[in-house]
Amino acid sequence: MSTPSRKRLMRDFKRLQQDPPAGISGAPQDNNIMLWNAVIFGPDDTPWDGGTFKLTLQFTEDYPNKPPTVRFVSKMFHPNIYADGSICLDILQNQWSPIYDVAAILTSIQSLLCDPNPNSPANSEAARMYSENRREYNRRVREIVEQSWTAE
Amino acid sequence: MNSEGGGASEEDRPRDDEILAFHHAIRAADAEKLEFVGDKEPLTVLAAEYEAGNPVFKAKVENLGQSYFAIRRARGDGNCFFRSFMFSYLEHILETKNEAEVRRVEKNIEQSKRALIELGYQEFTFEDFLSIFVEQLESALPGRETSVDIDQLVQRCRDRYISDYVVMFFRFVTSAEIRKRAEFFEPFIIGISNMSVQQFCKASVEPMGEESDHVHITALSDALGVPIRVVYLDRSVGADGKNTDVNHHDFIPSECSGVDIPPVVLLYRPGHYDILYTRKDEGRQNE
Repeated sequence: MSTPSRKRLMRDFKRLQQDPPAGISGAPQDNNIMLWNAVIFGPDDTPWDGGTFKLTLQFTEDYPNKPPTVRFVSKMFHPNIYADGSICLDILQNQWSPIYDVAAILTSIQSLLCDPNPNSPANSEAARMYSENRREYNRRVREIVEQSWTAE
Repeated sequence: MNSEGGGASEEDRPRDDEILAFHHAIRAADAEKLEFVGDKEPLTVLAAEYEAGNPVFKAKVENLGQSYFAIRRARGDGNCFFRSFMFSYLEHILETKNEAEVRRVEKNIEQSKRALIELGYQEFTFEDFLSIFVEQLESALPGRETSVDIDQLVQRCRDRYISDYVVMFFRFVTSAEIRKRAEFFEPFIIGISNMSVQQFCKASVEPMGEESDHVHITALSDALGVPIRVVYLDRSVGADGKNTDVNHHDFIPSECSGVDIPPVVLLYRPGHYDILYTRKDEGRQNE
């Protein structure tokens, strides 16, 4: 069935294939345009360098008026990512606008990795370590990067 | 997980998305008591509202009756300016049957579209929103298969899909206009929000439910080339402490410099916009 949200998701997908931003990829699951798998690669020259982090994006028929639910499937250690993988990011919550497509969402999450917002911690341990012991924080991030290569 | 540092850990306090969902639920429950746009009501309903209230408001409502005769309320969901504008302008087209006016505004829409693309927005992210508004404009003109009458216009403006898409389109147009003329808008934005132009557009223009003030109104009026009057109903009194005349401000885009009374007249009470009807139009609108 073709609905406004499904039609829009097809165009999101087309753009992501034709003009993919660096370091991200994503595609709907074979039989379900409302559920996407995505990968964000850790940005070069940062502690996240080399990581391949898997996510899912669950859309509803309200898309693009409502944001998708985005979750990391890979284990993460980051001030703005909850233990269950869900993400604390303004554009996925109160600052959502249909002007963002999937490419823009994934790009924003990618920049969140290296540029956390310590004011809205989802993981207080990571937030504290990020501001008080950056060395230890970076070590924990490297661990997460290594786990991202093997873990499902 | 244990938080050693004291204070609230992530388990003590609700998650941001939970707080937000709660906030939305309260707002939705409150808002759904009223349609996106209500019925046209005589201005006396406003007087009744302030019967036992503040004497300044009461006097002002009475003065309001000299120039205006009816009100149509908009739902207070943070989009009331845009929803009021949508209805009021489409109703104006419906009544004036002015095809040249529609063509003029469509040209401005085309310019906004180019501005959005130049600003780096993907066309597919806003084209559906644009075409829904153009459809409404076209249907407000007579003699088409899709032409609507006033009752159908009301129904359309109460339809969540149509109303939300048009509001969103206005938000895109407003954002593009502000970004395009960032230098002009910057001092006003700093005056109300302490944000950069980019942050303001991202946080206070583009998301649904973010309330509008004079920056949004100026930008939308300029971008579409549609004059807007805002009548301010507040507690302020004139210099002598007694004057309870009702102030208004006309937002007139440069291409419309000869306009007498703007086609869109809105009533502003702190935090909310509704639609007003001028006495001048009373005869025509009561047909």
